Amino acid sequence: MKIEYIGKCLLINDKDEKVLVVGDLHLGYEEAMNRSGVFVTREMYNEMIKEFDEIFLNVGRVEKIILLGDVKHAFSGNLSQEWNDVLRLIEYLKGKCMELIILKGNHDNYLVNIARKGEIEVEKNYFWNGFMFLHGDVDSVELYDKKIEYWVMGHAHPAIKISDGSKIEKYKCFLAGKYKDKKVIILPSFFPLVIGSDVREDLNVPWEFDVENFEIKVVGDNLEVFDFGKVKKIR
Amino acid sequence: MAEITYINQSSSEEVNGILNPLVKEWFFGKFKDFSLTQLYGVKNIYGRKNILVSAPTGGTKTLTAFLGIINYIVELALKNELENKIYAVYVSPLKALSNDISVNLISPLAEIRELAEKKGLVMQEVRVALRTGDTEKKERVSQSKHIPHIFITTPESLAIVLTTTKFVESLKALEFIVVDEIHALTNKRGVYLSLTLERLCDASLIEPVRIGLSATIAPLDEIAKFLVGSERDCLIAEVKLLKKIEIGLDFPGESILEGESTGNLKKFYQMIDELVDKSKTVLIFTNTRNATERIIHHLQLSFPGKYEGLIGAHHSSMSKEKRFEIEDRLRKGELKVVVSSTSLELGIDIGGIDLVVMVKSPKSVSRALQRIGRAGHKLHDNPKGRFIVLDRDDLMECGVIMKRMIEKDIDKAEIPKNALDVLAQQIYGMAITRIWDVDDMLKKIRQSYCYKDLSKDDFFSVVSYLAGDYALEHRHVYAKIWYDVEKKQIGKKGMLARVIYMTNVGTIPAEGFIGVVIGAGEGKGRDVGQIDEGFLEKMKRGDIFVLGGQKYQYLFSRGMKAFVRAGVTRNPTIPSWFSEMLPLNFEVGLGIGRFRKLVKEKIDDKEKCIKFIQEYLYCERYVALEMYGYFLEQNEFSEIPDEKTIVVEKFKQEKEYLLFHSCYGRRVNDALARAYAFAAGRLKHRDVEMGINDHGFFLSGVELDEKSILSWVKSKDLKEILKEAIEKTDILKRRFRHCASRSLMILRNYKGRNKSVGKQQVHSEFLYTAVKKISNEFPILREARREVFEDLMDVKSAELVLKWIEEGSVKFKVHRVPIVSPFGLNLIVQGRSDIIKLEDKAVFLKRMHDLHLKVIKEKGK
Repeated sequence: MKIEYIGKCLLINDKDEKVLVVGDLHLGYEEAMNRSGVFVTREMYNEMIKEFDEIFLNVGRVEKIILLGDVKHAFSGNLSQEWNDVLRLIEYLKGKCMELIILKGNHDNYLVNIARKGEIEVEKNYFWNGFMFLHGDVDSVELYDKKIEYWVMGHAHPAIKISDGSKIEKYKCFLAGKYKDKKVIILPSFFPLVIGSDVREDLNVPWEFDVENFEIKVVGDNLEVFDFGKVKKIR
Repeated sequence: MAEITYINQSSSEEVNGILNPLVKEWFFGKFKDFSLTQLYGVKNIYGRKNILVSAPTGGTKTLTAFLGIINYIVELALKNELENKIYAVYVSPLKALSNDISVNLISPLAEIRELAEKKGLVMQEVRVALRTGDTEKKERVSQSKHIPHIFITTPESLAIVLTTTKFVESLKALEFIVVDEIHALTNKRGVYLSLTLERLCDASLIEPVRIGLSATIAPLDEIAKFLVGSERDCLIAEVKLLKKIEIGLDFPGESILEGESTGNLKKFYQMIDELVDKSKTVLIFTNTRNATERIIHHLQLSFPGKYEGLIGAHHSSMSKEKRFEIEDRLRKGELKVVVSSTSLELGIDIGGIDLVVMVKSPKSVSRALQRIGRAGHKLHDNPKGRFIVLDRDDLMECGVIMKRMIEKDIDKAEIPKNALDVLAQQIYGMAITRIWDVDDMLKKIRQSYCYKDLSKDDFFSVVSYLAGDYALEHRHVYAKIWYDVEKKQIGKKGMLARVIYMTNVGTIPAEGFIGVVIGAGEGKGRDVGQIDEGFLEKMKRGDIFVLGGQKYQYLFSRGMKAFVRAGVTRNPTIPSWFSEMLPLNFEVGLGIGRFRKLVKEKIDDKEKCIKFIQEYLYCERYVALEMYGYFLEQNEFSEIPDEKTIVVEKFKQEKEYLLFHSCYGRRVNDALARAYAFAAGRLKHRDVEMGINDHGFFLSGVELDEKSILSWVKSKDLKEILKEAIEKTDILKRRFRHCASRSLMILRNYKGRNKSVGKQQVHSEFLYTAVKKISNEFPILREARREVFEDLMDVKSAELVLKWIEEGSVKFKVHRVPIVSPFGLNLIVQGRSDIIKLEDKAVFLKRMHDLHLKVIKEKGK
């Protein structure tokens, strides 16, 4: 069983089954911005597809693709951009795998309507080969089942500020560590417009993770991911 | 061609001659004679001549403007010929005008009416209405029903009125426009107003007379043209009141260097206390809100109970009610001390101030004069002012400013030209008012002095932006206007256009200030001040910084709040936060350079030198002595920089530093620093850190080869270099967000949702990135660059400095020094720093990762 970090995604290879895991997408973000009086244009979808193209070029077809939730952005309804982009994305991703699984995030209250049109049911969480995939906004009893080895989640939009003493730059990152008897992996958000929040400040998940002792892998350009070891080692 | 003419005063008889007998009787019942300002202005205003009246604050300008108008209107009212229309519009950038208007307009009208009644004369009612952002709907509706004859308003409300359907009709035959406090409009707000005035002239069938009122400012020709537009004539009444200014320069304690210790601060408060005891009311200017609060806090702490109820603060972050309260109490003489950041510079009548104290340099002569003008409310009192400085750079700066004040050497103000974001907002407003022929619209815009050279390309690119062209297939979402290329017409789009315009008008960007709150430990929940977005981005959890004199440790941030821990004793890990300070005027900077040269020539003869300083700066001996000491230290350490010599000091302090003593003001130094930092960065392809203040700038980096760096920057290349350089720093992003707000890319109020600043806080990074994907020449992005180049920095003067260096009239002198020099200390400690990031973000990550692995390997050994 191999776990690989490819750009902002996780690739799990187990018994010749390849599973690609994708973090928060927040499709429809730009329209939501427009509606609150900020006029930015809509480039995000195309940019994300470009990134996906790169990933699939690298990884080839996979058996499963799992979206960890917050696929769309607007809480209280479905914006036209969301109908458009979510359906397009579903079609695209279906063409790259055997099975597409979509989890429900806290922004996905009305996602089910769109997903149904794309012939997909939205799930609360998904279990496969010892991995429990969830969004990461709520704790629940079934997560502690003995047969679960890994928790793989999104939601937190983990990022890290790296400084050399004069300059500071912020990057998206993965966090991997232990919690009780579980191994936890948190994915960065996939959507490119916002980097995320520094993990040392406020992780915003319902569990008290020992973040300082988690391993951090920082996402660079061209799908490169850099292992910086434990969070506490970063200056 | 438009003529600007300076005029002389009229005689009392001449002014008398134009006054209606009733008005004459009223006037002389209240006043002994016409003031000098009135002798300059009244007759010309009555005679319908465009005029700019410039007089020191307190020079009865407001009544001067109104007297001629009141005279005319009263005459009509007596003859029963007063129509239901607005005769005169009065615009002031101040939020609250009530008291001034009350004293100078409403009371006179009421008193004249009383007099008329007494004499058995029948007079029509003269209606005055006030409209600002705070005017309630009920009142506005009433104004529509009972059209006022004189309309008092703010620049923003005037723009809104022009887009109404009914009320705007009352402006069809406007006869007078009065613009007050023009000296406070040498910025985008003024640019906005200049277009609003052209729109006003478009709404009115007759061309109204323009009357501008200004405090001391230069150059008056420019300001006159700004008032009347590029094609109209204007008279200038430069009223030189023979007020002698009593001004002094002082510092607490025996020597300023004690200043760092709390002991000297105690002496500072004692000094203030003594001054307050000797006066009835003292007004203290501090430049920043934090300093304002600190001074009040410490005064009360040092003299417990003494200032209870007698001291107040005044700054623009305070609520309107609180500010009114202070102004009111000041007028009534109930306060002994008021401490203001800069907000009380503008001319609201605040009664009798005996003494104006300026703590920290006001940075320009005109500002200093405006501040002192607040003292001595009666025309014949001599204004008394005092500079109290706490560091030696301020000592020198205030000394030179003081000299120029006494010699009436006023620095020049600048008005932004061709600002595309303001243009976007105004084109939108114009399109809402009616459909325009494109050529007519451009012609009208060019009548504003601020846009007389607007290019067709710039105009059409803004039209393109407003029409949604940049959004391609989503045009319908973004378009605010439609542009019919064939018919050559522009009109508004969407039913919400008027509402959007009315609720989002303005040029003052919603400041993205982050509130700092104690998040843990003692004092949890307490609000301790503000920092800006840029500062927050540079902080990591655990960083210790100074805010308002106290140390805090940053924990995390959420939304618009940063949470910290107080009671920190360890040293700061990052530089203190300083709000963007007023920049030193370039001319004053040159004046300091000139002064330094004259002192340098005499430095070896102590007595001669001290005497010279005393005479040159009109200061006391102990002040001259202190300055001499500062010069001597610098001279012995390396060399005194002056107007012909830019001393460049090279030293090592972890990194290599190149410190330039270029006394040209922050705006010029910003441009020079970035250019040289860029040069330095290019050579090694690494980032270079820079710090700037009014007296110089420094570069710091891994290896700085001063020979190549100094010779690389040429005046002819400056613009190109800077264009690239600013793309790699934060300043452009931040200014872009302001411009986006002004050009209505970001709306404060949309579809009924009034967002708190927090919710509408769109991160600069996000917006900038999103826009760059559209086009690098997006007009609003171009405007942000222009604003950074021309308003924030002063690229023109920086080019001039480089030319002087190329001609040889200014030379670089490089000195290798062991540590930072006396003149450079403040810069290193306080200089606002930024980084020219020449290293790619991804490359940086790789480099940091390699470093990180190395460190881990070392530790493992």
